[in-house]
Amino acid sequence: MRLHEFEAMDIFETMGIPVPRRGVAETVEEALCVSGKIGYPVIAKTQVLVGGRGLAGGIKMASSPEELREISGTLLGSEIKGLPVRKILVAEKAEVTKEFYVGITVDGYSGKPVVVASIEGGIHIEKTARSGPEKIASVQIDPFQSFDPNQARALLERFRLDENLLVAWAEVIATLYHTFIRYEAQIAEINPLVVLPNKDLLAVDAVLELDNSALSRIKHPLPDRMERIENPLERKGREIGVTYVDLGGDIGLISSGAGLGMASIDMIGEKMKPANFLETGGGITEQLLYKCMELIMMKRNLQGILINIYGGINPIQEGAKGVVRYIKEHDVKIPIVAKALGNHQEETWEIFRSAGVHVVTEPATEKAVERLYELVGKV
Amino acid sequence: MSILINDSTRVLVQGITGRIGSIQTHWMLAYGTKVVAGVTPGKGGTTVEGVPVFDSIEEAVSKTGANASIFFIPAAFVLDAFLKTVDAGVKLIVMIPEHIPVHDVMKMRAYALEKGVFALGPTTPGILVPEKGKMGIMPASLFAPGRVGIISRSGTLSYEFAGILSECGVGQSAVVGMGADPVVLTNLVDILQLFEEDSDTDGVIIVGEVGGDQEEKAAQFIQKKMTKPVAAYIAGRNSPEGKQMGHAGAIVRGSTGTAAVKEEALLGAGVEVLESPIHAARWAKKHHLR
Repeated sequence: MRLHEFEAMDIFETMGIPVPRRGVAETVEEALCVSGKIGYPVIAKTQVLVGGRGLAGGIKMASSPEELREISGTLLGSEIKGLPVRKILVAEKAEVTKEFYVGITVDGYSGKPVVVASIEGGIHIEKTARSGPEKIASVQIDPFQSFDPNQARALLERFRLDENLLVAWAEVIATLYHTFIRYEAQIAEINPLVVLPNKDLLAVDAVLELDNSALSRIKHPLPDRMERIENPLERKGREIGVTYVDLGGDIGLISSGAGLGMASIDMIGEKMKPANFLETGGGITEQLLYKCMELIMMKRNLQGILINIYGGINPIQEGAKGVVRYIKEHDVKIPIVAKALGNHQEETWEIFRSAGVHVVTEPATEKAVERLYELVGKV
Repeated sequence: MSILINDSTRVLVQGITGRIGSIQTHWMLAYGTKVVAGVTPGKGGTTVEGVPVFDSIEEAVSKTGANASIFFIPAAFVLDAFLKTVDAGVKLIVMIPEHIPVHDVMKMRAYALEKGVFALGPTTPGILVPEKGKMGIMPASLFAPGRVGIISRSGTLSYEFAGILSECGVGQSAVVGMGADPVVLTNLVDILQLFEEDSDTDGVIIVGEVGGDQEEKAAQFIQKKMTKPVAAYIAGRNSPEGKQMGHAGAIVRGSTGTAAVKEEALLGAGVEVLESPIHAARWAKKHHLR
């Protein structure tokens, strides 16, 4: 779960990382009220969960109430990369003398947290890594060990900074690491961490991406996860316990695994347009597949459905009963092709056939997609 | 000699009394796997499918000589049980559950590496060696004995590939689920190495998907070290950027982790990139794999 910048900033502040004076606004009046308290100039930043806000016009400066009124009026209610702007962060405009970068991520390959620091912040860290590797320092941390300011200081030695700056920066990095661990983050990042004229540091941006699998055991208050899923169908998927991704087309999909689901939409996409990705994981029951049918059928324009499930950990015969119940109750007329293999496959095929579902018994998903293509073409 | 599972593999099932644990124990036994013990705290002294259940991992290992363990327990209890299993001397661990916090997985991985334990997962279907046994949830009917190794990030797609190969008379030496989380206990490269060294394997299929850089790292390894033919398939060409496609690790971030980037790296290493799973059969025939 990616947090909004203002949420991450609140957490950083609680943890002891210096952040700007700021406030969140949902209306122009609220924005003016915030800036009234902190003074001008201010920066207004749209709070949307997408990268590249600045380039997309989602970050603007205001030097007066008139300017802020105009800017916040434009930003609020607009869209950034297709996402609606409901909130803006109004923050003091820091006087920047230098910009640093600090990021902590989970390195998938080594399986360790990796801390990356750069004396060039504010831009793409990947680009700096290519163009000026000497401007970057990084270290992998043993997941059983901590990371204290002394270790952070050792990481920064190569940059030859003056003592006060070195100490302050090391302190921020160690605190960010502590935050990363406490919140079980996958990403904790400050880009940029700015140096003010008095040599103090200020985190003018905050990124925190949490691990969905760890949310329930974090003992500190967290924002609601459901609320941030913009698409109502994707939210409904989360509610019933499956992963649903809206793809905009007209061929529905139910699959029992993520890889199989991705492969299925790749194959559907060759000749038709997938309406959705849906994968159940290992939790198939009669009730769950009934609900999955309900969910994918919420798209009124569906032309056909592919059901692609394996009986390994899943009782596919139970799932088939749920699909068939939905078909009978709702008198579904569009063609449905089911490929269901593994434990209890014969029983599953019988159940599907009883409701007119076209059963494909070969293991290649392509055959099922071809069958569906023929059937949809005939309608 | 098959990889990972052989005649001396003795399996301990953690969470054996649970709904999934007991059903899967039934299927593993039916496939000929030597399941020698189960653990469920508080259920010691009972049996499941004729397998004795113990209260503690240590007791199960010392009384039955179990040397491998498969997990069917809730994610929240996994880390503690994993560390205890390693401490009990078990050398092969298969971690079936999904949704294990990644900070726990990092610790498990570090501990397994330190203690010389080979562990697969999390979010893996496990490992199946035709005619030797399986530690996993794969539907056995799709698999057949032969000389092609399969490594897959996805469970269901590993069944699909095995099914397609078996149908046209190409069998498998072993099918290994590496898991689908952002951090896995054993990386793709290390599993490739096992197949490269295995005298029962003549060729390997990698079933990858979007997200992370496992396939890119594998490409480097293949170029430098692999002598056997390798084919690869990457699922998720049509996956939108920034969306988690079911698996925690299957997420495209900007231009990294895309199917195109992975396919390019693999092609550059001389790997045959398969358009779709059905082409695996043709690849196997071309290399005279059986």
